Amino acid sequence: MSLDGKLALVTGSGRGIGRAIALKLASQGVDIIVNFFRHRDSAEQTAKDIESLGVKAEVIRANVGDPAKIDEMFDMISNKFGRLDILISNAASGVGRPVVDIDVKAWEWTMDINARALLLCAQRAAKLMEGRGGKIVSISSLGSRFVLPNYTVVGVSKAALEALTRYLAIELAPQNICVNTVAASAVETEALKFYFKEGLVKDNRQVTPAGRMVIPEDVANIVAFLCSEEAFMIRGQTIIVDGGTSVGLFALAGK
Amino acid sequence: MTVEDQVRDIVAKITRVDKSIITRQSTFKEIKADSLDVVQALVAVEETFGIEIPDEEAQKFQNFGDFVSYVESRVAQEEKV
Repeated sequence: MSLDGKLALVTGSGRGIGRAIALKLASQGVDIIVNFFRHRDSAEQTAKDIESLGVKAEVIRANVGDPAKIDEMFDMISNKFGRLDILISNAASGVGRPVVDIDVKAWEWTMDINARALLLCAQRAAKLMEGRGGKIVSISSLGSRFVLPNYTVVGVSKAALEALTRYLAIELAPQNICVNTVAASAVETEALKFYFKEGLVKDNRQVTPAGRMVIPEDVANIVAFLCSEEAFMIRGQTIIVDGGTSVGLFALAGK
Repeated sequence: MTVEDQVRDIVAKITRVDKSIITRQSTFKEIKADSLDVVQALVAVEETFGIEIPDEEAQKFQNFGDFVSYVESRVAQEEKV
């Protein structure tokens, strides 16, 4: 499953799931563009760790919620590399509030970063994949289809992301670009600590049939598979990585 | 316009409060800035002054005065370079 010599952009790869994906791809020979927005130190650490795996890393700051910044980032990629093989649209943000407290600002902030960024990044990435094909994988969450407390805006943005994935998969298929998304349940990351603190997520080890929480590497493994030629016939799908939580919901409801 | 005035204008616009109530002692809570307001204020200030404010630094700000002092010191550094 070697991806030797490929070039990937992983948005939001300073920490958490994005970092794990970047390292997993790097371990398979992929050069990585590490995008970050708020945590430069983490991004530079990720880049160092990538380089220690013997591939190249480039750090670039951009708020993917801002179309102009997405353009600047892709201009840089275009000028410096002139190509892209893999786009991982992972960066995410969100505002945890009850439905009645969601204002336009919270809605737009979340939708712009979580959903619109995939559209804008995919448009630019597709141009850089012209004539060579490519892979686009985004990161969704179970909140796209199940209701979690105070998760409305993020859940809706992830539902949009999954729908967009299907459209991209069909419309980019003639260019030999495979598009899919990976939806995880609560993953043990820095972001999750925040959700715990805010009371938005509870420790769900008891409701995970696999017996432990999902870790970033679980998601990264599936993303790397979707970036491989073995996954060529998987298109427009949302692959769930949750240790069985979602299919076990009814069985667990009585516990 | 001083750095402090510019930062105050940005924060007032984002939190939609009257800028006259924002003093150096005001906490973000007092001016009803939620976490999204704070991030948006940081981003707007970064773009205005061409600086980068890592979250690790921003988390240390206890009040508006800390935010202004940090921006002032960064702007001064930029001018030296």
